[in-house]
Amino acid sequence: MLRMRSFLPPLLFTLAYAGISLGVTNSYYQLILTLVPVWAVFGLSWNLLSGYTGLISFGHAAFFGIGAYATALGQIYFDISPWLLIPVAAMLGGIAGLLIGFPTFRLQGHYFALAMLAYPLAILYVFEWLGFQEVTLPIKRDAPIAYMQFADPHLYTLLGLAIMLATIVLTQLIERSRFGMALLAIKQNEAAAEAAGINTLAWKLRAITLSGAIAAAIGGFYAQVLLVVTPQSVFGMLVSAQALTVAMFGGVGTVWGPVIGSVILIPLAEILHAEAGARIPGIQGVIFGIAIVCVILLAPEGLFWKLRDLLRKRSVSKSTAGETLEPAVANVTALKPVARPRAATGEVVLEVRNLSRSFGGLKAVQDVSFKLHKNEILGIIGPNGAGKTTLFNLLNGFLKPSQGEVLIDGRNMSGQRPHVICEAGIGRTFQIMRPFLRMSILDNVVVGAYVRARSDDEARKLAADAVARVGLSAVANRVAGELSTKELRLMELARAIAGQPRILLLDETLAGLGHGEADEVVAVIQQLARDGMTIAIIEHTMQAMVRLVDSFLVLDHGAVITEGLPEVVTRDSRVIEAYLGKKWVGHAAN
Amino acid sequence: MTANSKFTISRRTLLAGASGTLIASRAWGQQPAEVKVGLLVPISGLYARPGTVMREGAEMAIDHINAQGGIKALGGAKMKLVVLDSGDTTEKAKNAAQRMVAQETDLVAASGAYLSSFTLAVTEVTERANLPMLTLSYSDLITERGFKYVFQTAATAGSQARQALPQIVKLAETTSGKRPKTVAILTDNTGASIASAKAMREGLLAENQLQLIVDETFTPPLADATSLVQKIRSAKPDLLFFLPTVISDAKLLLEKMNEFGLGQGKIPTISFGIAIAEPDMLQTVSPELLQGVLTCVASWGAKGHEALIAELKTRYKEPWMTQNAISTYGDMWVIKDALEKAGKADRVAVGEALRTMDGGPSKYYPLGEIKFDEKGRRVGAGMTIVQWQSGVPVTVFPPELALAKPFWPKS
Repeated sequence: MLRMRSFLPPLLFTLAYAGISLGVTNSYYQLILTLVPVWAVFGLSWNLLSGYTGLISFGHAAFFGIGAYATALGQIYFDISPWLLIPVAAMLGGIAGLLIGFPTFRLQGHYFALAMLAYPLAILYVFEWLGFQEVTLPIKRDAPIAYMQFADPHLYTLLGLAIMLATIVLTQLIERSRFGMALLAIKQNEAAAEAAGINTLAWKLRAITLSGAIAAAIGGFYAQVLLVVTPQSVFGMLVSAQALTVAMFGGVGTVWGPVIGSVILIPLAEILHAEAGARIPGIQGVIFGIAIVCVILLAPEGLFWKLRDLLRKRSVSKSTAGETLEPAVANVTALKPVARPRAATGEVVLEVRNLSRSFGGLKAVQDVSFKLHKNEILGIIGPNGAGKTTLFNLLNGFLKPSQGEVLIDGRNMSGQRPHVICEAGIGRTFQIMRPFLRMSILDNVVVGAYVRARSDDEARKLAADAVARVGLSAVANRVAGELSTKELRLMELARAIAGQPRILLLDETLAGLGHGEADEVVAVIQQLARDGMTIAIIEHTMQAMVRLVDSFLVLDHGAVITEGLPEVVTRDSRVIEAYLGKKWVGHAAN
Repeated sequence: MTANSKFTISRRTLLAGASGTLIASRAWGQQPAEVKVGLLVPISGLYARPGTVMREGAEMAIDHINAQGGIKALGGAKMKLVVLDSGDTTEKAKNAAQRMVAQETDLVAASGAYLSSFTLAVTEVTERANLPMLTLSYSDLITERGFKYVFQTAATAGSQARQALPQIVKLAETTSGKRPKTVAILTDNTGASIASAKAMREGLLAENQLQLIVDETFTPPLADATSLVQKIRSAKPDLLFFLPTVISDAKLLLEKMNEFGLGQGKIPTISFGIAIAEPDMLQTVSPELLQGVLTCVASWGAKGHEALIAELKTRYKEPWMTQNAISTYGDMWVIKDALEKAGKADRVAVGEALRTMDGGPSKYYPLGEIKFDEKGRRVGAGMTIVQWQSGVPVTVFPPELALAKPFWPKS
């Protein structure tokens, strides 16, 4: 029901647009009305990859052009109908996406963007070299409909709209599924996504394949509208830029962004070209450029988000005007430290043997061995640079050990990818928080649940459950960007436990919290332990740690200097020396 | 009309006067005071410069036609130019064409659109709107689609190379006394250059007993011409065919040739297309370097155009008359002739007139007649060879159009 309702706005929009189109008799306006959905779909295909994963592609023209040329050349050389060629073009675009994505996803950030820029430019020269500088679609006077050559220009608009509606619905379905969640998680923090059990490479490849297929399909349709294909007009820089422009103007990472961008920018550019350009040739480019710069300055994330934020602010101020503002905060009842059977003797769930990792000459972790027993809370301490976080990264697969083994339930998992280790039952949080700021708490947590959940519904249930366990149920629908540090820490904790891990690695979960706040979080962790979770925690705040953990593992310069019960370890002279320096050893003894 | 005439017959006496006025007003409507002609060329963006020159040529022609009494068959109706900007992309050109046919419904014909890829897209629209379109673009493809409303005034790319080569060889033989045997081709990979080079490689060179010893294709813009020039220096061809589209490439290569001691005619250089003869060349290359360089173009200011060249110079400060100016000037006169023949300001009738017209020898396009074959190509369309002489590219071939005698650089 909820799902059906969300398809209503695009359907209504499409119908309204179709209505306007049918009312327009001027063939020039009709052509502009046809081009709007074309560029909207191209923007949507870009958005599917770059908007959701945050990996900016400057080279979407590669797919667009492949589709356009496939559709044109198929008609010229094989006399196949574009009704058939456009789906074929989509397939080719998908394959191209896969071929391009596989090597290019090794790169990140700017490097990915630059590499993507190269593909259409390289393909452009290939097509020039092949002698396809100018390709025109053969005119079919005897069977125009079979070859998509409509005498009535309305039909092009309606067909473009149909493709747009299909793309919007597809994007919406993806947005709400595990697919979309995975992409959003990758955008926010690829490492965290991997750690939450998401096979990032697989999802990214799916995204670029689908994105390439859509871009190629609409490229094929574009060739049909333009009737002439040249390398510059389908592989050129301006084509790739068009996808970015409409999406960034309208709003990145939302289905409406490219549509809004296209509906405004395409007619605006044409009107400027026809009206202002007729008076002062070239002025259209100047006005258009300034307009885009202004909008980007005022609404850096695009019009859609700006408007949404404005509306939200207004509705919030309206709804809170009458009542006294009671900020919804997490209500964590500070539990009294109830005695928990210390379980240092239970079965071994995680065993680390002689684990080492060096970066060049620096031995960040050397020869570390320890055992984690079921339901134990192990505190890992040590001064800055002792190798604590590196150890965690080795445990959850971010880093491959130079030497040694990590045994989970007796199975050697060292060197496995993070999402595999996550599936094996290890969850983790990060020293630097990586919330998905635009998403609600619940949605943030759902990302972590997919590793266990088979269906979207199950994931929601697991997430709600995890949110309840950390005491955030009351604020579950608030956007993460509005939360306090404590709530964010709890939310991250919930995301880690939503995947129902058996072992939890917590990296400085108490960092940045006030005294009272830390206690609340400690209480939650204790409760988790009482419920049977095995926990390894890195922490600086000794005070909180002593009350929390069953035993300590102390690292310095990457090596274990001692381990044992808290009261023993805190009096160990080597520990005091590592933390405070030699001259304090004597003081501490007293 | 039919209902109207029945009406008048049945009530002849009563309505004689009224129907008389009706017919008179219709006749008046068929002879408008103005006949609109379109010019769809790039006047913004990358190709604004050639597009502007085309507009200058068209404006001059329209002024001349109107000064000489307009369209006589339409009671001296004046011609009016409607300029549309094709912009710098194929999509913009197509949009402009759609705007032209949708909003300028009373156009009788048009000219455009400079780049052949623009012309291809534009004519897809004008053909469907039955709007006659004259073009100076010379891609063979334009008139190979079976269109009825496209008229190509220039010789096609393939045909130009076919015509030019024997003339070049003859020129070399008569002026230097030695027949060239070996050639180098240095071409960029744009559509027109590729078409000309392809025709040469695939038979034309062999037909003229020329041997291809260096064959290099580059992508504009060139960053460095050294390796290209080194190949030419070591091969020492008798002729160099150099086909750039971008002025900076022409400059780079000519300067590098000079640096290597091959310039100023040591290896005679022949180009295709107008890039190397554009006025802008002089802004970056010295006239000495250009001296003697030949280029084969579809059309150029030539003998018989002296007054036009002078007017273009004074009115628009253009140093000489390129293909873009003279061809577009000619287009307006051809449309005028078609209007005279059609006898009405109607695009279909003008199209029919263009298809069937026989306007005798061409005045503004090189050689041939003002007559189009079934493909829409001008019958007997010739080409011109232009040579840089003392800082001006002048027409040196065909002899009947030549403004100066060609000289062959001594080697």
